[in-house]
Amino acid sequence: MDYTWHFQIVWDYRAVFVRGAIMTAQITFWATLIGLTLGLALGLMRRSEFFLLRAPAATFIELFRSTPALVQLVWIYYSLPILTGLQLSNTTSVSIGLGLHAAAYFAEIFRAGVNSISKGQWDAARAIGMSYSKAMRRIILPQAVRRMIPPFINEFASLIKLTTLGSALAVYELLHEANNLINNTYRPLEVYTVLALAFAVIIYPIIYASQRLEQRWQLRQ
Amino acid sequence: MTEILIKARNVQKSFGTHHVLKGIDLDITKGEVLAIIGPSGSGKSTFLRCMNFLEEYDHGEIWFGTELVGYRKAANGSLVKDKASRIAAIRTRMGMVFQNFNLFPHMSVLENVIEGPTVVQRRDRAEVIAQAKVLLDRVGLAAKVDDYPETLSGGQQQRAAIARALAMNPELMLFDEPTSALDPELVGEVLDVMRSLAADGMTMAVVTHEMGFAREVADRVMMMDDGNRVEIDTPERIFTNPSHPRTAEFLQRVLR
Repeated sequence: MDYTWHFQIVWDYRAVFVRGAIMTAQITFWATLIGLTLGLALGLMRRSEFFLLRAPAATFIELFRSTPALVQLVWIYYSLPILTGLQLSNTTSVSIGLGLHAAAYFAEIFRAGVNSISKGQWDAARAIGMSYSKAMRRIILPQAVRRMIPPFINEFASLIKLTTLGSALAVYELLHEANNLINNTYRPLEVYTVLALAFAVIIYPIIYASQRLEQRWQLRQ
Repeated sequence: MTEILIKARNVQKSFGTHHVLKGIDLDITKGEVLAIIGPSGSGKSTFLRCMNFLEEYDHGEIWFGTELVGYRKAANGSLVKDKASRIAAIRTRMGMVFQNFNLFPHMSVLENVIEGPTVVQRRDRAEVIAQAKVLLDRVGLAAKVDDYPETLSGGQQQRAAIARALAMNPELMLFDEPTSALDPELVGEVLDVMRSLAADGMTMAVVTHEMGFAREVADRVMMMDDGNRVEIDTPERIFTNPSHPRTAEFLQRVLR
């Protein structure tokens, strides 16, 4: 293959990548915030003994886990306004859509973390007169959070990657910026290569950190 | 007149179709040490756990002093489940020690002991710490106050768990097979602590397989089998002249 690489072009347009990266970071931030808050609530609800709390949480979680994220985004952007008259901007749609998507997964991480704490810990907490919420806050969660952090980081990394779906709604995140750049420069090979590397450089350290944490905490247990 | 601390009447409990408690009656008087013995699966742990409502009995009544445990009487006389806060309040007056210790692994020994008194009873922290140190000294763990449970032996963990229960100043101590998960050489140190508690006049209900302990320390021994109270009597009579053949047969098996 005698292709001549012109990475200089990508460097010349570095501002475009920075702009895209900022948008990607913003979407990730909001989606994580929504995902964590809602996920915590859903995870708690799903463990509830009350059917009226448990059932909606389970329905939401399973619905979002069994449909593609891209379908969720286009539904929120195109179908929601038709049904409700509520038209969200494309960026808001992606942030909320991915937030809801992440919530379903965070809820399951949360639930699995709490369930992994032995029943004896609940017994001991109740035996000294703790209420459910006190036992959860003081005894169960401090132990469970530690087990939830590695899978949470993994989910966070996958959320960053999912922001590229925003390009389907013309959100100017990294992938969409890259596509535009290609239309101007006709250099898909360089642009996509740099794009892929940029993601790898951001995400690999996150995954690495999660693996290290997992190892360290396993050793200590 | 002797004060009755626990009064259980016709206590029944089912797990699905499995009838584990078939109507237990029992009085525990203040200052008494009661040993509960019987084969595994006889319902003795379940019954003990009903006393502080970690297990919800579904028939009969358990009274702790003047309070009905876990239920309240509705206007029409039927029993309805009590408020969680009142159940929790009753639990603070009983200490419980578990087979698997169940210390809080993210807290040091001292933090384990002061957690209930400070967070649940909201007592003065400095006073609680002082009391905790006395208790830990008493169970032989003065040197371990700042250690974490994972670094302790089973016997040390169980003694810390006893100190944790005592720090609540309970009126009654419940022991659920406290030595069953221990290596044989560690059983003695835990039984010694329990013996000294008994000598101090603590009211205790002890589910145990340690027949030597039951015989020496208990004021009365209750034999359970298949969800029933087979008999209850002084250790002398239970161990030398049981009135029920099921007791004799059980003791013959465990004491040989």
